[in-house]
Amino acid sequence: MIYRIIQKRKFFLTLSTLVALASILALFFWGLNFGVDFTGGSLLEVGFKNYQPTVTEIQDSLKGVDLHGLIVQPTNDSIILRFKESTEEAHQAVLTKLQELAASKTAASITELQFDAVGSSIGKELKSKSFNAIAIVFVMIIIYISWAFKKVSKPVASWKYGVAAIIALIHDILFILGVFSVLGHFYGIEINTPFIAAVLTVLGYSVSDTIIVFDRIRENLPKSQEDFENTINRSINQTIVRSIITSVSSTLALIAILFFGGDTIKDFALALIVGIFVGTYSSIFIASPVLVVWDNLTRRQK
Amino acid sequence: MSLIQKFSKLSVWSRAWWVLAIIVVFTVIVGLTAGGNVYNKWVKKLAAKTNDIVILPSVKELPYNLGLDLQGGAHLVYSADVSTIAAADRAEAMESVRDVIERRVNAFGVSEPLVQVNKSASGEYRIIAELAGIKDIKEAIKTIGDTPILEFKEQATTTQALQVDASGTAVLDASAAINWKNTELTGKYLKRSSVQFNPNDGSPEVSLEFDAAGAKLFEEITARNIGKPVAIFLDGYAISVPNVNEKITGGQASISGRFNVEEAKLLVKRLNSGALPVPITLISQKTVEASLGSKSIDNSMVAGLVGLLLVSIFMIVYYRLPGLLSVLSLLVYGLTVLAIFKALPVWLALVLVVIMISLVFYTFNELKIFNGTLAFLFAIIGLLLFFYALKPITLSLSGVAGFILSIGIAVDANILIFSRTREELKAGKSVRQAVDDGFKRAWPSIRDGNISTILTCLILMFFGTSAVQGFGTTLFIGIAVSLFSAIVITHTLFVVILGDWLEKRTWLLGVSRSKIENK
Repeated sequence: MIYRIIQKRKFFLTLSTLVALASILALFFWGLNFGVDFTGGSLLEVGFKNYQPTVTEIQDSLKGVDLHGLIVQPTNDSIILRFKESTEEAHQAVLTKLQELAASKTAASITELQFDAVGSSIGKELKSKSFNAIAIVFVMIIIYISWAFKKVSKPVASWKYGVAAIIALIHDILFILGVFSVLGHFYGIEINTPFIAAVLTVLGYSVSDTIIVFDRIRENLPKSQEDFENTINRSINQTIVRSIITSVSSTLALIAILFFGGDTIKDFALALIVGIFVGTYSSIFIASPVLVVWDNLTRRQK
Repeated sequence: MSLIQKFSKLSVWSRAWWVLAIIVVFTVIVGLTAGGNVYNKWVKKLAAKTNDIVILPSVKELPYNLGLDLQGGAHLVYSADVSTIAAADRAEAMESVRDVIERRVNAFGVSEPLVQVNKSASGEYRIIAELAGIKDIKEAIKTIGDTPILEFKEQATTTQALQVDASGTAVLDASAAINWKNTELTGKYLKRSSVQFNPNDGSPEVSLEFDAAGAKLFEEITARNIGKPVAIFLDGYAISVPNVNEKITGGQASISGRFNVEEAKLLVKRLNSGALPVPITLISQKTVEASLGSKSIDNSMVAGLVGLLLVSIFMIVYYRLPGLLSVLSLLVYGLTVLAIFKALPVWLALVLVVIMISLVFYTFNELKIFNGTLAFLFAIIGLLLFFYALKPITLSLSGVAGFILSIGIAVDANILIFSRTREELKAGKSVRQAVDDGFKRAWPSIRDGNISTILTCLILMFFGTSAVQGFGTTLFIGIAVSLFSAIVITHTLFVVILGDWLEKRTWLLGVSRSKIENK
């Protein structure tokens, strides 16, 4: 059985364009919910023993400390506080107040589980660094694919394979950002350094997925009796099972992290799962169809 | 040569058995390296159960290098103000800041403090201190930030009235306003300081001894300030302002401030622990409590085992016999990666990498797809692996996640090979032929796909923050080892186990016979 993927390219490309547009809109209206790594500020997690204070109790106890943008968020067995100040003085002042709160209850005690403070200059630096890293990945991928496919120049020039892979990648990034924009807006999920690592990994994964399809095209083209469109469709069909199986096995590993890896790593695993899903989708339904569309356009011009 | 000749005369099958024997030895080595503590425990139990009749030799346990988020600790980033230092000397000054902080941190009994100098993109100098497993973070921050900056200043403008005390030393009240200007002499040039007592009145003094460069500077400063005061500033306050009577050579000076013995001793201690040549401020910190870290380790272990189990079940259900073989090679893969995470002794790292690379070359040679480019590519990967095998890889939470993810991705090469093998089987080829052709055909895809991921890993490794670097490094090691496990281990197992007996049982390979006949 052969799936008619290339023949239905208009449907898939329109769908992907719509999804990309929706992501852009989400980013435009809601933006991304950046965490302390990017915005600067503090994140303090404390655990209370023998006593679980309410959010208002904590807010009241911290009234004496001059804090900006204080957010108190209870978890299963701890409380997470976020505020704009990143100095050690603010940190100690908050801790002292919380200790006083614990001391006022019988047999209660408090432990500091983790503290993250990031100066705003570091946050800005991280943003530009992340942007550069993603840009470098893009450039290297175009160069690498053009080089790897240098022998295939008919009917589509080798650099166009690189550009098609990049279009798929841009789609992937937009999708992940869109999903996290929605998650950030409605569920308060934040974007921190690990998210960048996840995005970069997904880029690598998506490209290697795309390359495997292109590889099959490269192998089939010289000996193919069919036209370009059908050769590509056959190549996709020959690789589609492998693409799906690999993404399933990777996702299984990630699901284990999502459910058993603990709270700290959850968002990271989620970003990777979303990314691997969309990376697999784009290598099948975007990268190769773009090649065909491009080929048709050039033919028409001639 | 005769050995190699004899070997090449053996049948494909018996050669594969020899390779398998090497793989088994390899697996035992990486297994004992990765799980030395588990093995040792088992040896002890066995000895206890058999009343000390069976005593197996125990192995040396090498530790994993856990990151801050897994063992608890602090990651501190300081920004250094180098505005007062000439651009050319800044790097050197930062090195001495690092040494001083290292000394201060060592006093806290941190096992392996990591203190690094880092220059940001905007040209700002930073000190990054990683204190793994530290108990009292608050105290550590206080001690590091405690900055005895020792400066020697000379007068910028007119002389002011000076008080002369009993010992004849000019002492200036700190409140008196004088325009002081910095000299080049700072605490950086201090070799040693000690408490001594003034021979005239027995009052405590702090003596300073400069290094060669400092002595020369001191000589110049005293030479041009004869008859004028020179101020010794500590942390921005003048602690002593002696009048210079003559040029002082030999690099000895003393501070005769108005302090008692205790204060003098404390000052000496602070000066000896090192005066920071430049002021620093804490701009970022990340601290994790040890209990949270050990919870994360438990979670990661469970996640890793569940991940491995899920992937294994999936592979066996979907690919049957080849799936089972790939799970075996996945186990060797996991042990190898874990072994490389540890800091291995040179001989062990060398043995492992040489075995891996030569088996890869051997398999390529068997498949007749060996060429210079491939040899070059794998030589580079081998070198990098060797480097990482020697170095301890810091396992952070995201690094562990990278490892678990790599379990899922590691089977990709196997999947590519199986899909190809199935296609060849469906085309009516014999099992042996289909396996060989499946490997050959799948190789270009495996190569190109993995190179692009390795490129991404390299970018991750060079991308500043340590958490991201750790993730990139573990992913790279995972991919490099997965190439070995797919090319060598899966292939060898295939050759040894898959054979003519399977011709009538192709359902074990996930291909029904009717499909073959239809073709």
